[in-house]
Amino acid sequence: MQPTIPDVVQTIPLPYYIWFASALFVIGIVGVLTRRNAIIIFMSVEVMLNAVNLLLVAFSAYRSDPAGQVFVFFIMAVAAAEVSVGLAIIVMIYRNIQSIDIGLLNRLKG
Amino acid sequence: MNVNYIWYFLTFLTLVSAIMVVVVRNPIHSVLYLILTFFCISAHYVLLNAQFLAAVNVIVYAGAIMVLFLFVIMFLNLREYTAESKTNLVKLGAAVLGGVLLVIIVAALRSMQIEPLNKATYNSQVGMVESLGKVLFRDYLLPFELITVLFFVAMVGAVMLGKRETGERNF
Amino acid sequence: MLSIISLSLFGILNLFLGFLKSRRVLLPATLLFIALAFAANLLDWNHQYVYFRDMLRTNNLFINFSSIILLTTFLTVAISRSFGTDEEHTHPAEYYAIMLFSVVGALMMVGFENLIMLFIGLEILSVSLYVLTGSDKRSLRSNEAALKYFLMGSFATGIFLFGIALVYGATGSFNLSAIGSYVSGGPTTGISPLLYVGLLFILAGMLFKVSAAPFHFWTPDVYDGAPTLFTAFMSTVVKTAGFAALYRLLTVSFTGVYGLWWQVLTGVTVLTLLVGNITAVYQSSVKRMLAYSSVSHAGYLLIAVAAKTPQSPSAILFYSLAYSIATITGFAVLILVAEQKPIEGRPDERYEAFNGLAKRNPLLAFSLAVSMVSLAGIPLTAGFWGKFFVFSTAVDRGMTNMGMVLVVAVLMSVVGVYYYFRVIIASYLKTGDSEPIGIRPLYRFILVLTTALTIGLGLFPDVVRQLF
Repeated sequence: MQPTIPDVVQTIPLPYYIWFASALFVIGIVGVLTRRNAIIIFMSVEVMLNAVNLLLVAFSAYRSDPAGQVFVFFIMAVAAAEVSVGLAIIVMIYRNIQSIDIGLLNRLKG
Repeated sequence: MNVNYIWYFLTFLTLVSAIMVVVVRNPIHSVLYLILTFFCISAHYVLLNAQFLAAVNVIVYAGAIMVLFLFVIMFLNLREYTAESKTNLVKLGAAVLGGVLLVIIVAALRSMQIEPLNKATYNSQVGMVESLGKVLFRDYLLPFELITVLFFVAMVGAVMLGKRETGERNF
Repeated sequence: MLSIISLSLFGILNLFLGFLKSRRVLLPATLLFIALAFAANLLDWNHQYVYFRDMLRTNNLFINFSSIILLTTFLTVAISRSFGTDEEHTHPAEYYAIMLFSVVGALMMVGFENLIMLFIGLEILSVSLYVLTGSDKRSLRSNEAALKYFLMGSFATGIFLFGIALVYGATGSFNLSAIGSYVSGGPTTGISPLLYVGLLFILAGMLFKVSAAPFHFWTPDVYDGAPTLFTAFMSTVVKTAGFAALYRLLTVSFTGVYGLWWQVLTGVTVLTLLVGNITAVYQSSVKRMLAYSSVSHAGYLLIAVAAKTPQSPSAILFYSLAYSIATITGFAVLILVAEQKPIEGRPDERYEAFNGLAKRNPLLAFSLAVSMVSLAGIPLTAGFWGKFFVFSTAVDRGMTNMGMVLVVAVLMSVVGVYYYFRVIIASYLKTGDSEPIGIRPLYRFILVLTTALTIGLGLFPDVVRQLF
């Protein structure tokens, strides 16, 4: 049987994906700007990265070009490395001040 | 069954759970909503015929990364409600800023023209392991090798920073 | 390419040398490794290679930029004395290894031919620096700087990646030349708006990494909180690699939309120059002053990028070299002076700590004076020629386009003289009551070497200029 084009690629226009990914990305940005808990800020960054991944996969599927999906693979690898370092930093800080509210970190002002 | 309904439902669910990640107070609820977001995005990948990434997304993101998050949150015992020190004004400002950014992006991309789908050359198998593996290990071999340097740095760095030195309190 | 491979291997070797737990082996070994990588790097001189299906391109420009990066790393490692406050809890082998790995990332950023190489290089460099910033684990300031740098850095990475995704959507490729031919070839339907939006996001991400205003807000806090040695490393290697990457990306891929990014970059340049120099005047700590001065130097380098003349690469090279050497000297003297009389357990980084330095340690005072004069851009030092070459690229581009930027840049250089000379005045004209500082032979040698290089390049700029 001849493989067919996926249904969404035929019926959903590509701009819908771009708007969807942009909305997800902006939700992540708002999260970074509004929250004070370092872990939640970091999770908002993960939401941003996922918006990027979704956008890349959509472009890749609509063009039937595998390069975009390989890039997503690399983004996931890098995100995993970043998470391990980031959580180590958070643990290190918690050990010193028993909190991870970035509002308490204000020794470096002025 | 119309696939469009599934698409709209998934998109709605993704956006709602992403918003919940950002607004809920309890970090553990945040993590759970984030996992829901990842599952929805994986479902989107399946709809786009990117099965391999859908599986990797669940394994790496929902499986490894989020477990690390949950682990640290429970490790540090952050369950209790802590008052956030940012004022409502800052939050309102950030929300307005985000809205403006979204409007700018959408407005800038409104006039975009998408080249029509070429049904003759379309290859629906690009998202499969076979096609991705060929590209990854042929065209992208050098970055694939060099990303191990990043893992070395992350491994050494995480151990150095997270390790308890003699004389330090545990937690 | 050989330098990238050898540095990756040497980094791993360095981790194994850590078992010996002896600084006497580690420091010379690391210096030797960097010197070997430097030599391996020079082997490809006058050859052009493209590696692994258009992933990495090496040519003389790549070798020049990576030589500057390796030289800076060599100098930084040579002045490393102790990590953190107490010797027992430091792990020199791991930190040297991370520094070597971070240079791999920097070299990838210099020679990338595909956006994925730029992305991974940037991440290797950034993740290493997050770790190095937090390396003084007991110090809350270091912890805070690491967290701030990490959160802001990963946020910037997200923005940068969104830009890459949009550019991919417009062009269908991550390859620099393919994007370049899409942009300048002019597709039948016109350039997609995706590309413009994507370019702006990429620029925001890159400008964040090289700390240009208005994306510089993290710089003073992070540079101030990090251990001084790593501040020196960050402010030199990241700048050199970042500007090499920015220039390469903008000229190879986006020459066709020069009109767009030229406008953005000139605006950012003016803002960076104003913010960096004027805020530097109001600082009471020398370390913070140097942090703001590094913001302002990003502004001068941006002039050469925005001008985009055939002379721009050599101007960027010369400026990075002059700036890196002078900055390392400045931080090297700061480390010694600040640790002499700690206040509340922290190094004293105020201007007052330099009072009477010329009486106590004439060599330190002289090196400091030469480096500050070079950073200020006074003739007979390397910094003067750096500024001269950068400004002449702007003049070549034409006064109608770059006139405003040039006026601001010249005015801000005058402002720069004020805050750089405050340090010199403190060390030569004021009197202090401290004891002379003991300097180890290697440290003394590095100070003499960098001072000689700064003056030498100031007297004979053509010696290096021929290579660029």
